[in-house]
Amino acid sequence: MDQSAPKIIDAQSERNKLIYWSQLHGFQWFILSLSTLLMIVAWYIATEQVNKRVSERFERESLQVIELVKERMQLYEHALWGAVAHVDASEESITDTQWRNYSNSLRIDETYPGINGLGLIYNIKPEQLNLFTQQHKITRANFKLHPTHEANEYWPITFIEPLLPNQQAVGLDMAFEANRYSGVKKARDTGLAQLTGPITLIQDSKKTPGFLFFAPFYQKNSPHDTIKTRRQSIEGVAYAPFIMHKLISGTLAFDKRHVTLSISDNGNTLYNDVETIDVNQIDPNPLFTEDKNVNFYGREWNFTISSNLAFRTTSASNQPYIILGGGLLINFLLFALFIVLSRANKQAIKYADDITRELKINTQRLVKSNQDLEQFAYVASHDLKSPLNAIQKLVNWITEDCEEILPDSSKEHLALLKSRSGRMNKLLDDLLDYARIGRNEYKPQAFDLAATAQAIFSLLDHPEGFSLSVEKQILLLPKTPLEIVLRNLISNAIKHHDKAIGHISITYKKIENMHKIYVQDDGPGIPNELFEKALEMFQTLRPRDKVEGSGMGLSLSKKTIEHYGGNLMIESDGVSGTTIIIMWPISLEQQH
Amino acid sequence: MNADKKEVTLLLIEDDDIDAMEITRALRKMNVGNSLIRACDGLEGLELLRNGTVPSPYIILLDLQMPRLNGLEFLQEIRQDPQLDKSIVFVLTTSKSDEDITASYKKQIAGYFVKNEVGEDFLEIVKLLRGYWKIVLFPES
Repeated sequence: MDQSAPKIIDAQSERNKLIYWSQLHGFQWFILSLSTLLMIVAWYIATEQVNKRVSERFERESLQVIELVKERMQLYEHALWGAVAHVDASEESITDTQWRNYSNSLRIDETYPGINGLGLIYNIKPEQLNLFTQQHKITRANFKLHPTHEANEYWPITFIEPLLPNQQAVGLDMAFEANRYSGVKKARDTGLAQLTGPITLIQDSKKTPGFLFFAPFYQKNSPHDTIKTRRQSIEGVAYAPFIMHKLISGTLAFDKRHVTLSISDNGNTLYNDVETIDVNQIDPNPLFTEDKNVNFYGREWNFTISSNLAFRTTSASNQPYIILGGGLLINFLLFALFIVLSRANKQAIKYADDITRELKINTQRLVKSNQDLEQFAYVASHDLKSPLNAIQKLVNWITEDCEEILPDSSKEHLALLKSRSGRMNKLLDDLLDYARIGRNEYKPQAFDLAATAQAIFSLLDHPEGFSLSVEKQILLLPKTPLEIVLRNLISNAIKHHDKAIGHISITYKKIENMHKIYVQDDGPGIPNELFEKALEMFQTLRPRDKVEGSGMGLSLSKKTIEHYGGNLMIESDGVSGTTIIIMWPISLEQQH
Repeated sequence: MNADKKEVTLLLIEDDDIDAMEITRALRKMNVGNSLIRACDGLEGLELLRNGTVPSPYIILLDLQMPRLNGLEFLQEIRQDPQLDKSIVFVLTTSKSDEDITASYKKQIAGYFVKNEVGEDFLEIVKLLRGYWKIVLFPES
């Protein structure tokens, strides 16, 4: 029993381990959450990267839009300064023919796409007005200034090319309206190319927003390095009218960009994509919007640039979603793996429990049948004894009472009857002992092996020539069962000895957790092939008539030792001497 | 002391005929002339005692394993009976069990003998009994 206890504890702890691993624990949840966290972080980083890239792209595109507009305005400025240069280079006053020739040779509609025209505006003082008008009526009969206004000077558009689309502008006096007038004055005062605020060109039948671009020219040989001198020496401005949507569509074809654009000047809309392009291409909730103020020739233009649907389409990246999806898949697989493992463990537990239950039932049956058998052996041997006793007594009485009258042969028969019934008695005694082995549990007690063995030896009926040698050794063992074993072994050694003089030696060794007691004799020995037979119940190796014996001695010893978790072994060469080795487990109290 | 010359009667309560026979043989062998009365079980023994068949003084030799009323039950009965509670009882049985020995002595027995299978044990017992009633004083009946 003591021996199997650690095994049961082992099995229990193994079972507990299985139970532990059959459930999902902090450890697995930790791995799962760590993996989820990593997945989210990876997804987040990827998203951030994509967003950054997209944002940079938008930045680049919006900058490009502004740069393109700037570039175009510089081109127009060059055109204006070219016109100024032309005026400055002419010795005489410019005529409309001359201007047409100049414009034609510039081929303005090809060179300067988006420009509505290129013209000259002269600054006319009231006293010069008549002369000026008359001079121009020479070639253009219907030339006249319009509309009338209160200002003390005139800035009529004198020449404009191409003439046809700009016919209405000829003679238009800039001073009639604040936007135009302040633009032209600013150009005069700064000596720089300047813009007007948003206006509607009179030649634009659709009345869309536009602006004028002026570059001033002054009297030749007069200084114009201060506002004062500029005002004194101003002669006029070269000018170009612009219709905003034409300029933008010439500069920035919508299908080539991924942003929508609106431009305003001081709160007045100059341009808005919404008015010119298909609504379906505009992103109602743009990913990015940028508001930027840019100075353009004396005006501050406000650019509002938003990403459009094309931008959204081209910037959409599914990389973060692939990462997210991959992560989710890995997590799911991990989870599935844990579930599968835990289920496998659960099945193992169930299997083990089933087997254990079966084993328990079988063991109980076995224990029960063993108990029944022992009970039977006990009762049988006990109950057989009393009639046997009676027979023995009766035989004794007959022998005593009929001493005188019985023939010798009958006396011999009676002696045989006595000896046989004696043998039967011995058999029943041993059977009783055998059946009793499991009935009492003896506790370990300290005793001297030498004293015990000598006591047994002296009590046994042994011939003169026999001796026993045994060393003093204090043991902590169940004494009574060991006595039974020693008595049987010593008795066997004497009984089966083939010579008149014999020696039995008992030695002791402690090996690992076992007591080893060697009972060695110098008798005839047991051949190897008979070892097993020697250990069987009721087996004798020699006829019972030669050697009295029940054939129970060794098997009884073996069963006793095994009951206490030990073992019995035979060692013999089959010629001289037998050693019986008793291996008895060292009790736990002694080990610790 | 006035009763000392009275012969002691032996009441043998024993179910086994051969055991009873052996006692008789031993008595004869030892030339013991005291009268012997045999009962086959406890119940019969009790009857014999109560109906006065057994003259005083007497010694009871009691087996334990018997049908109807066994030895220990018999002891229980006589120790409760004011007429019989002073009886001198020796137990003679095959049982070596400690429980039986202890239980018997608790019922104030005078001695406990174990029947050994064969041999001269009964002679020894008879010898002892003979010596016993020679020197022991018996209670007044």
